[in-house]
Amino acid sequence: MAVVKKRFTIGKILIAFILVFIALTIIVPLVNLLARSLSDPAEAYLVTGTDMLPRGFSLFHYQVVFNNPLIGISFRNSLFITITGTVLSLLLTSTAAYVLTRKNLAGKKPLMYFLIFMMIMVPGMVQEYFLMKDLHLLDNLMSMVFYKAVSVYYLVIFMRFFEDVPVSIVESSMLDGAGHWTIFCRIYMPLMKVPTVTIGMFYFVTKWNEFFYSSIFLSSEKNTVLQVLLRKFVVENDQVNMYGLANINANNIIAQLDMEAMKATTIWVALIPILIIYPIVLKYHTSGVLSGGVKE
Amino acid sequence: MKKNIKRIKGDIVLYIMLLPTLVYFLVFHLKPIYEMKLAFFDFRIFESDVFVGLKWFGKLFSTPMFWRILKNTLIISFMKIFMFFPLPIIFAICLNEFSIGPFRKSIQVVSYLPHFLSWVVIAGVWFSFMGKSGAVNTVLGIFGIGPIDFLTSKDTIRWTLFMSEAWRSVGWDSIVFSAAILTIDSTLYEAAEIDGASRWMVMKKIILPALFPTMVTVLILNVGFILNAGLDQVMNFSNDAVLSKIDILDTYVYRIGLKNGQYSLATAANLFKGIIGAVLVISTHITSKKLTGKGAW
Repeated sequence: MAVVKKRFTIGKILIAFILVFIALTIIVPLVNLLARSLSDPAEAYLVTGTDMLPRGFSLFHYQVVFNNPLIGISFRNSLFITITGTVLSLLLTSTAAYVLTRKNLAGKKPLMYFLIFMMIMVPGMVQEYFLMKDLHLLDNLMSMVFYKAVSVYYLVIFMRFFEDVPVSIVESSMLDGAGHWTIFCRIYMPLMKVPTVTIGMFYFVTKWNEFFYSSIFLSSEKNTVLQVLLRKFVVENDQVNMYGLANINANNIIAQLDMEAMKATTIWVALIPILIIYPIVLKYHTSGVLSGGVKE
Repeated sequence: MKKNIKRIKGDIVLYIMLLPTLVYFLVFHLKPIYEMKLAFFDFRIFESDVFVGLKWFGKLFSTPMFWRILKNTLIISFMKIFMFFPLPIIFAICLNEFSIGPFRKSIQVVSYLPHFLSWVVIAGVWFSFMGKSGAVNTVLGIFGIGPIDFLTSKDTIRWTLFMSEAWRSVGWDSIVFSAAILTIDSTLYEAAEIDGASRWMVMKKIILPALFPTMVTVLILNVGFILNAGLDQVMNFSNDAVLSKIDILDTYVYRIGLKNGQYSLATAANLFKGIIGAVLVISTHITSKKLTGKGAW
């Protein structure tokens, strides 16, 4: 570990300022949006770009957003896809990692080449669409559960963890006649807490944040996903979906809510799962998992 | 004999365990890759597709829009790869000036967060802040700098893409460099101290050389992905005013293929991207492995 001398030089103070500035560029916008969302509806429009505190305090914006049936539907859909997808992905990835790290596996080399080919060659958009169509999974949440279910990149990381388990632990069980599935479940997986949680969280975030293919595969309102709905509000400025047509026509309290505040509220609602799992990721993350270093 | 049978029996369980994943790849990955042969066919709804060889590639390469899009893709990728490249390194080095403690940890925790945000959320945040009357322009106004149009101006939109990508990834991408710095032998620092080396010299002579293999790996591997200019990001930051500058291969395929129904042409573009991309990834992987021992897999 590096030993760094503590000296208060001008250079060090300058660097501290730079780091704090960078951190502020991240904190300030997010807190500002939070402030807007928590403001009293009558004063929300007064919030400027640099305010950190809400004007007045009210959960009204959140009430409106959660009462929006579209939000409820899309949040549930996203949650279903994300959780089911993560469980499936972890199952597939971990079992494959176990099998591929068995020393005498016949056909290991061709299998590895196949997987690497899968990693570097991505199927086309049109073909993905037709695939889901042929599988009758269009406008079916399961399409997003299966889409990108296994990442070869995470599989390789998992394999490295499996390879680190000393063979001696396994040998005694094998002599006792334990089968592969037993060894996998009873011996290996209990040792795989770190990669399972870390890679599980990565799968989770990827699936929760996926919007592009969600918009392609899922077309009807009842199957919409939170990111797609959020995009309608925030990027396409769709006020009908955000406020509700009835409210807009009646020009009632809801229709007059500050749009920036409503957008901010919806953004923060979309952030909830991310903020819940973020501390978990931080706790379990070790340089070992991440020092592969390739970014997608 | 009994041993051999037992071994094969044991192996069968292995293959069964591998089967679901294998089926996933065959059905959801290999089959659609195979179906990209549509690029060489005319699409027919009621009859079987007609083989037309390189017709659609010819059409693709003679469309001026394609070359504009390729240019956009390469420019945006170049900006993201080469201009962004020093940033996580500088960030890691700056962080390293502080011993592991609450200050360093808080900066790290905050800096990793944007990596976990979806591009929809990031767009929402950036639109709020970088709009003509947003916070950034307000602050710039204090210094007398006129409102800069970050979001709807052709001249600035690529920089906006670059900056938002940097905002998102500086922290997370610095992890691998921070890890490399932590492996530096402390005796090197002690020797430098004894020799009276300044902090600047320590950085030049100890830290940068230690980071060099990682730097090479990261840079080379990123070049492999140069045709992916960031679909999710572009889809969210795109609008009519700026589309011509940030239309990339993926958005082109989306528009031509899924919205306009020109399946063969879109597949040709996609296949072009896929194959060149694969070749790039393989060659950069081999190069990186040769130079630094680390590759993409």
